[in-house]
Amino acid sequence: MSWVVLLLVVLPFVSAVLSLWVGHRGEVAERGIAVGAAALGFVLAVAVALPHLGDAEPLSHVFAATSAVGPPIELAFHVDQLSALMLLLAHTVAFLVQVYSLGYMAGDPRYPSYAALVSVFTGSMTLVVTADDLWALLIGWELMGACSYFLISHHWELPEARAGAVKAFLMTRTADLGLLFAIIVLGVRFDSYRISTIMGEIATGGFGRDDLWLPALLLTAAVVGKSAQFPLHTWLPDAMPGPTPISALIHAATMVAAGVFLVARAYPLFLSAPVALTTLALVAAVTMFIAAVSALFTGDLKRVLAWSTVSQLAYMFGALAVGAYEAGVLHLLAHGAFKALLFLAAGSVVHAVGTTSMSAMGGLRGKLPDTFITMTIGFGALAGVVPLVGFFTKDAVIGAVWEAAHEGHLVWPWVAWLLLVSAVVTAVLTVAYSLRAWLMVFFTPPVVEPVETPAATPERADLHESPLSMKVPLYLLTIPTVLGGLLVAYPGVAFAEVEHTLVHPTTAVLMTLLVAATAAVVYLLWRRHGGRDPWHPFVLPHPAVDRVYDVGVVRPVRLLARAVRAGDRDVIDGYADGAGATTRGLGWLLRRAQNGNVQAYLMVVVVGACAIAVAAGVAA
Amino acid sequence: MNAVLLNGLVALPAGFALLAALVSRRERAAVGVAVVGALATFAWSVWLVLRLGSAGGALGDPDRSVDVVWLEALDLHWRLGLDGISGALVLMSTLVFAAALFSLLRHGPDDAEGGPRRTGSLAVLLLVIEAGVLGSFLALDMVLFFVFFEVALIPMWFVISTWGDAHDAAARRRAATRFLVFTVTGSALMLVGFLLVRAEAGTFDIARVAASYTPSGPTALAASLLVALGLAVKTPLWPLHIWLPDAHSKAPTVGSVVLAAVLLKLGTYGFVRFWMPVTSPDWLLVPVVAALAVVGIVYGALACLAQADLKRLIAYSSVGHMGFVVLGAATFTLGGVQAAVFASVAHGLITGLLFFLAGAIKDRYGTTDLAELRLLYGKVPRMGGLFAFAAMASLGLPGLAGFWGEMLAIRAAVSPAAGLSETTYRWLAFIAALGVILASAYFLAVMRSMLQGPAVEATPSVDHVDVGAALPTDRVAAVRLGDRRPDVDAGEWVTWGPLAVLTVALGVAPGLLLTPVADAARAFLGGLG
Repeated sequence: MSWVVLLLVVLPFVSAVLSLWVGHRGEVAERGIAVGAAALGFVLAVAVALPHLGDAEPLSHVFAATSAVGPPIELAFHVDQLSALMLLLAHTVAFLVQVYSLGYMAGDPRYPSYAALVSVFTGSMTLVVTADDLWALLIGWELMGACSYFLISHHWELPEARAGAVKAFLMTRTADLGLLFAIIVLGVRFDSYRISTIMGEIATGGFGRDDLWLPALLLTAAVVGKSAQFPLHTWLPDAMPGPTPISALIHAATMVAAGVFLVARAYPLFLSAPVALTTLALVAAVTMFIAAVSALFTGDLKRVLAWSTVSQLAYMFGALAVGAYEAGVLHLLAHGAFKALLFLAAGSVVHAVGTTSMSAMGGLRGKLPDTFITMTIGFGALAGVVPLVGFFTKDAVIGAVWEAAHEGHLVWPWVAWLLLVSAVVTAVLTVAYSLRAWLMVFFTPPVVEPVETPAATPERADLHESPLSMKVPLYLLTIPTVLGGLLVAYPGVAFAEVEHTLVHPTTAVLMTLLVAATAAVVYLLWRRHGGRDPWHPFVLPHPAVDRVYDVGVVRPVRLLARAVRAGDRDVIDGYADGAGATTRGLGWLLRRAQNGNVQAYLMVVVVGACAIAVAAGVAA
Repeated sequence: MNAVLLNGLVALPAGFALLAALVSRRERAAVGVAVVGALATFAWSVWLVLRLGSAGGALGDPDRSVDVVWLEALDLHWRLGLDGISGALVLMSTLVFAAALFSLLRHGPDDAEGGPRRTGSLAVLLLVIEAGVLGSFLALDMVLFFVFFEVALIPMWFVISTWGDAHDAAARRRAATRFLVFTVTGSALMLVGFLLVRAEAGTFDIARVAASYTPSGPTALAASLLVALGLAVKTPLWPLHIWLPDAHSKAPTVGSVVLAAVLLKLGTYGFVRFWMPVTSPDWLLVPVVAALAVVGIVYGALACLAQADLKRLIAYSSVGHMGFVVLGAATFTLGGVQAAVFASVAHGLITGLLFFLAGAIKDRYGTTDLAELRLLYGKVPRMGGLFAFAAMASLGLPGLAGFWGEMLAIRAAVSPAAGLSETTYRWLAFIAALGVILASAYFLAVMRSMLQGPAVEATPSVDHVDVGAALPTDRVAAVRLGDRRPDVDAGEWVTWGPLAVLTVALGVAPGLLLTPVADAARAFLGGLG
């Protein structure tokens, strides 16, 4: 079985190389490789994952190790229930994205590199979730950053794609330093880089509350960057110029999900470091609210979804911060399903309309019936409508935070209360922005805008539903979105330790009432505005943090760089002048030799050898 | 047998240089001979490393080394040996030389009119440099190291001043002369340092020095300081780097490749082999060297951010990378030595590839000015992709070779040798890590301006290359060359392929290099923790 895991990691990389190598030969080759490898990966992932769900023994295997200085760096795998769930999520979404891309990316001359990068992305995520060695995890972790950089800049002719890609890479890579130093610190501390060993020792050994705060905080920094949490949350919405299937991949199953996964993987470490949990809780409380407000006011469909991802990830971190491990992981899985669905559906809309601006959409209900049905289910799950999966997992999170606020001990009570208030307010805002987006895309008559793309003309007689390759993934994703709630009701299927259900009846009823009330208010506002944007177009200022980074980091660095360049030039010229006198003597000698004749060259060598001889004699 | 192998590794390139010189009237024949020589040297080095790498024993053992008295009066020995540390660098060097000479077969440097320029003599000089470099890596006698060091330097001066930037003869001469003045001065200081070591330790044999010499006292400190100064010029260490950007950017493509990939390693190798054994970690000198290395990391990255020329940018990036190497050595730990050697090898592969690519870009578009290069993704997608790959490797993406050396250097700096201040080194480690981010920033900036661009100018087609559109008319002559060679051609694949493949291989399986280097470091510098 361990060889299957290795194969599962290697396969996407092989398929990527093949895509680049023979992908230009023809359509059959390029598509066959990409989709075939993804399908095979899905099958293998299922084969690996199913036996390791529930109370099965985790699979551990070490393939190779360096016998270098310090703890060994190993090619080691560890597949437990968490890895199994993540494998299922990642490979399902990756496979569906590859199928979907057949239709979405049809005719794109850069398809081979696109398909290759999606494969590498999948392979990297597989490495992250199965690796038992921290360095191997770091490799997957940063390779994902590189893949997302290349995929966001897929349309490199667009300035916003170029800028967004650079921003994403730099922000996440800066945060990745946290992971690098955490690994180094853990290695010094435990004399091992094996995750299962380290976590086992923490879980059993008697570590005090103050022993492990440093690596835990360092990991928190890495996670905040990767999962786009405050104050590093601004890269994710700016990553939207990438192709929409990529957004589905990044938001649902890979990149940002890896942050949540890492906290879950290193959970014993976090549990033993309350300061890291408290930080995480505060970050989550701030992020979910800010992101939801941003989603409420943006006029771009993909940015609404991007901000909603940031906000939903904060829910997961909130749950993990108060000790609700299962709730956090289940919300990650549920979010993976419905966010993939939403992004792919949004892609279908964009495919038809040719723009991501919601004001150019509207009235698409009849024109795109399949997209309408599936996206409605997706928005419902996001907003937390009974009985879709989002309702159950969000309720599990809020219920856990509720309990933590009342009798929790992991974080300070006021932090838990803050988190609870933020979670409830954000749930309300989520309903509002989901409903607004849904109404504006499918019902509001479109505002005629001078959009360059011909497909977006007001008549839009040529508006068409997407091809089958795009519709099938949408319908497939509705299955977990509708039925996923069962996993919350009966969590024992996935988590061995959990006997009881994770449904909290009190909060569930309260939240349902809140959802209904919010929906009613938004609907009335929408009607009042004559079926247009329910609140007047109100543009939020650009995130203030970006301004801080610009003034505090980017500009000083640029200034310094210019100073260094100018300084170096002055010094070089100064040397040239100052050393001129001394150089001139030597230079004369060298000019003699410069005619390239061998005698002169030999002379230099001989003179040098004599100098050595004399000097050596003096020393002796 | 081992003696034959060791001597042969120096004799082979020297002999083939002679052979090529004899036929240098006929350019192609000379280059052909030189390529054969470089390939033979590479094969020979593989054999040697496999043989000596598998056998146990210390570096200076009689059956693993050559020891012939050269000048008895001066206690000068022809003393060669090889272990995992030098083996790694020898293999990297012979590979890079083979690639560089092979590239001359098709892409020799052009003169201002686009004609060929005495490629045969260039190939001869490259082989002479190779002999000098390999001799330096194998030398166990300090003075012999110095001699080979000089042998490698002087032909390089000819390479830069004769075959350098065809459009600016004065600048290339100035760059060449500055290169020579700096490095010759540096190696003279180093030689004085060696003589002082001889006075203290009683031998020029570095294996014996490493085994038995305990440096202490002002003379030993002065010796260590002088050796460090000489090597700091060569490596280069900030602020003695200022000869480097000009030399690297004015040299012909093969010259830049050899300078960056191989010649800088003489300095870093010298730090590990000839500086660490004669230095005590208790001296203030050690943290000062580490600090200068870290200054170089940040300084080099900042300089890169403001560069307007691709070759200068790659040159400055070397300053940063070499900073990591010296930082590793200056921790005086086995892990640090490992980091230094790994980073040296990785830098050789990656920066070699980057300079090859810069040269190919210059061949095609007649310039390396970043203000004029645009849209390479659209015009030459394969080359653009390769550049992106090399840039990612150079900025230290995990999974590629560039990552391990820098990461291990940072790790070594977090826990330096006893006697060194942990606080100092941890701060240095942190600042060095910030340098990694800056490196990402400048490479992304280059990729954004050089590879990507607005669609108006783009001609995103694989086979047809429309370079005329994006360039001013006075470059048309140069562009003509670009037209002739659309994207990466077969010769370039052969030249660059091994470098790229090894970059991936070492990134995925760092143990290939880490294990032998660790064993060798343990045997050579046994006292380190």
